[in-house]
Amino acid sequence: NGHTGAVWCVDVDWDTKHVLTGSADNTCRLWDCQTGRQLALLKTSSAVRTCGFDFSGNIIMFSTDKQMGYQCYLNYFDLRDPQQIEENQPYVSVPCSESKITSAVWGPLGEFVIAGHENGEINQFSAKSGEVLRKVKEHTKQINDIQTSVDLTMVITASKDNTAKLFDSTSLEHIKTFKTERPVNSAAISPIMDHVRCTVAVGGGVNIVFAVFFHAAYEEEFGRVKGHFGPINCVAFHPDGKSYSSGGEDGYVRIHYFDPHYFEFEFEG
Amino acid sequence: MQDTEDMAAESGFEGEEPSFSDPEDFVDDIDEEELLGDVLKERPQEADGIDSVIVVDNVPQVGPERLEKLKTVIHKIFSKFGKITNEFYPEAEGKTKGYIFLEYTSPAQAAEAVKNADGYKLDKQHTFRVNLFTDFDKYMTICDEWETPEKQPFKDFGNLRHWLEDPDCRDQYSVIFEAGERTGIFSNDVKEPILTEERPRWTETYVRWSPKGTYLATFHQRGIALWGGEKFKQIQRFSHQGVQLIDFSPCERYMVTFSPLVDMKDDPQAIIIWDVLTGQKKRGFHCESSAHWPIFKWSHDGKFFARMTQDTLSIYETPSMGLLDKKSLKISGIKDFSWSPGDNIIAFWVPEDKDIPARVTLMQIPSRHEIRVRNLFNVVDCKLHWQKNGDYLCVKVDRTPRGAQGVVTNFEIFRMREKQVPVDVVEMKESIIAFAWEPNGSKFAVLHGESPRISVSFYHVKSNGKIELIKMFDKQQANSIFWSPQGQFLVLAGLRSMNGALAFVDTSDCTMMNIAEHYMASDVEWDPTGRYVVTSVSWWSHKVDNAFWLWTFQGRLLQKNNKDRFCQLLWRPRPATLLSQEQIKLIKKDLKRYAKIFEQKDRLSQSKASKELIDKRQTMMEDYRKYRAAAMQLYQEQRPLRLEIRGGVDTDELDSNVDDWEEETIEFFINEEIIPLGDLA
Repeated sequence: NGHTGAVWCVDVDWDTKHVLTGSADNTCRLWDCQTGRQLALLKTSSAVRTCGFDFSGNIIMFSTDKQMGYQCYLNYFDLRDPQQIEENQPYVSVPCSESKITSAVWGPLGEFVIAGHENGEINQFSAKSGEVLRKVKEHTKQINDIQTSVDLTMVITASKDNTAKLFDSTSLEHIKTFKTERPVNSAAISPIMDHVRCTVAVGGGVNIVFAVFFHAAYEEEFGRVKGHFGPINCVAFHPDGKSYSSGGEDGYVRIHYFDPHYFEFEFEG
Repeated sequence: MQDTEDMAAESGFEGEEPSFSDPEDFVDDIDEEELLGDVLKERPQEADGIDSVIVVDNVPQVGPERLEKLKTVIHKIFSKFGKITNEFYPEAEGKTKGYIFLEYTSPAQAAEAVKNADGYKLDKQHTFRVNLFTDFDKYMTICDEWETPEKQPFKDFGNLRHWLEDPDCRDQYSVIFEAGERTGIFSNDVKEPILTEERPRWTETYVRWSPKGTYLATFHQRGIALWGGEKFKQIQRFSHQGVQLIDFSPCERYMVTFSPLVDMKDDPQAIIIWDVLTGQKKRGFHCESSAHWPIFKWSHDGKFFARMTQDTLSIYETPSMGLLDKKSLKISGIKDFSWSPGDNIIAFWVPEDKDIPARVTLMQIPSRHEIRVRNLFNVVDCKLHWQKNGDYLCVKVDRTPRGAQGVVTNFEIFRMREKQVPVDVVEMKESIIAFAWEPNGSKFAVLHGESPRISVSFYHVKSNGKIELIKMFDKQQANSIFWSPQGQFLVLAGLRSMNGALAFVDTSDCTMMNIAEHYMASDVEWDPTGRYVVTSVSWWSHKVDNAFWLWTFQGRLLQKNNKDRFCQLLWRPRPATLLSQEQIKLIKKDLKRYAKIFEQKDRLSQSKASKELIDKRQTMMEDYRKYRAAAMQLYQEQRPLRLEIRGGVDTDELDSNVDDWEEETIEFFINEEIIPLGDLA
């Protein structure tokens, strides 16, 4: 218990000491993971959509929704400075007037945040100054989810335009595209980064009930997993790459273990 | 009856009567034509006499002894059109010359006589030619000066059969997508569709192929356009405002269009029949309702077309577009009719009428000879199903048998190729969902039962008259039957509400070759050769997942083609084979030899495809490897930074900190069970 509205985002720092949550009750809260005690409460003017700890676990970012006359903002707080928390004063606050942020993750060394927007744009916001370091527009519709590869070198974006795309985190170079017939709600990169078997899981939009797997290099679909009764909202690989889980609109979280064939099969090539 | 003057007073009209006369300086600027056009049309014309006279040629030449009889016969025939006031039978050398003059009371009657009696066959040697007397005058005074008609530029559309010459025998199909904004023509290749032509806004609603595949028809507000040839040039345009439906004669010589917009009492325009090659309007018809299109049904050879109206069957012949024998058939109560696809025979049925039972009649055209009549009792409804070659007719009869409740269905199978057309009956215990004849064969498939207990039954009409149930499969998810156009194979599909369940069946031994699914499929289309099946989800019925999938006839999925807002796919039909039966037999005998050549070709093309794919994959992998190598290098270079940020803790690998891990064994209660061991004593 704690938030008084839907919790939109959750993140845990690398050491599993702290948990960060953002909610529709217009607050972003920091918690002690072991005891569950609330450590900080940051009030906002609108719902908190995305949040996350940087690589060090010292800097947090969160973005707020464009709602009721309030703009979308991307806020940075340094947890080592208690004054920022007490006075609810981010050291950098970036307004996003054009298109609100729908999903965001930290870059490799905590230098910038990679944000996906409602209009399909992807921007790199500096963690120092908040300025836009790089931007690309490869998607034509809203970005529903961004996830990083386990080593943070790449990000995969899931978009309403029926595709998921792979980008280099630092250069934002567009590397691969994975096409489906429906809007993509979530995408994840397998931690088994063996270039031969790198697979991408994609879970879909309206009415889709499959999790779709692609070969990362060939951009070809090689498998579909049924099971959910409603759209899949998010997918994630287990850190050892031997299983994945998917959460759906039907209220179920399903955990799937890959059979030996998944690890063995080879594409001709 | 009151005088008009009094009426004004009676109606309690108060005050002065308003003046109805024009003001002083009013000048009439409307002519009589506009005001009274329709009345003027009926104005009595000056009768100068000759307009009411007709000349009839090819009249038998008779001597005086037979003249009275001749006059009686002529009178009988020609007084149908009006009152004959005068007649003249010129003679020479004691016999009538062979042509006569008749005068009517009005020119309109003379015109009727010309229209209806011209071409009247009196007997084998005499067919009347009837003309207006004034026409002779007209033709005699034709200008002697010959004016060369304007030369029409030759429009070369190229080879209209070009698509049949594809060396790999690929069939074409049309695809409408982007919700109708784009139409494309593709050649079907196993690897992927090959785009032949694609145009934006080619049609405003949908497209149709002509029956032999020569033309592609597109719909527009102003009418229909026909396209063809290698480059799909526009071949012909037909102006019919607001056209909604079209149909072709099987020979492609004629096209029928329907529009609900334009229709005048004197000039029927609702349905128009066109000559395809010249673009000319041949004839127009009224149309009450377009509910059962096509209103006009064509005989298989295009020689006749017919339509049914209340108690009437009207049969027309081509190219004259006139009624056969100049009159429609009165068939009281006629409910439905259809042509045999193989012969000029019409099947129709009439329901029960007081004491007379319902009956199905087979009538030969043009003789109108009834070759078979079948009485049916307690009939609720009938549906006519012809086998593709006209070898069999199935009449599905829904009856309420006496003494029983509910409706029972029988199939009355007419064997057309046998003397006196014997009929056999198959009784069905359940309600019928779908029925379909095997094209080119003597089997039929029936879907019966009620969801969720639906079954499919396969029957064989044997030459000894028995109709044998070959096999039945129950627990089917299907509402439609799609036979391959070459017979033997079929697809059972559960379209739309049944979520696209598919079953591929080989009816030679009634085995299920494959069971598959195309979620939310709305249509199934076989290619004209029977090698491929396309299942599709049309944007017109389902707004997501719009795509068409290509399968082999055995049910092996070959391609999934997603197309943005895909609407419709239609295979281009093929014309009938030019080979004789003997030639086909020869080819089938030599099939092994041909098969070897084709297999080699297929293997080459497949390995080429594999090679292409493998090359493509290798390139992609190389590029990806290069990228990852560079990324990895950068990652390694940044390692000291990572260690610094996390206070010296190495988190690069999952097992980087195995020493830090604690292992704990926890026991927890799962279940308690009491197992009796029995008597120990």
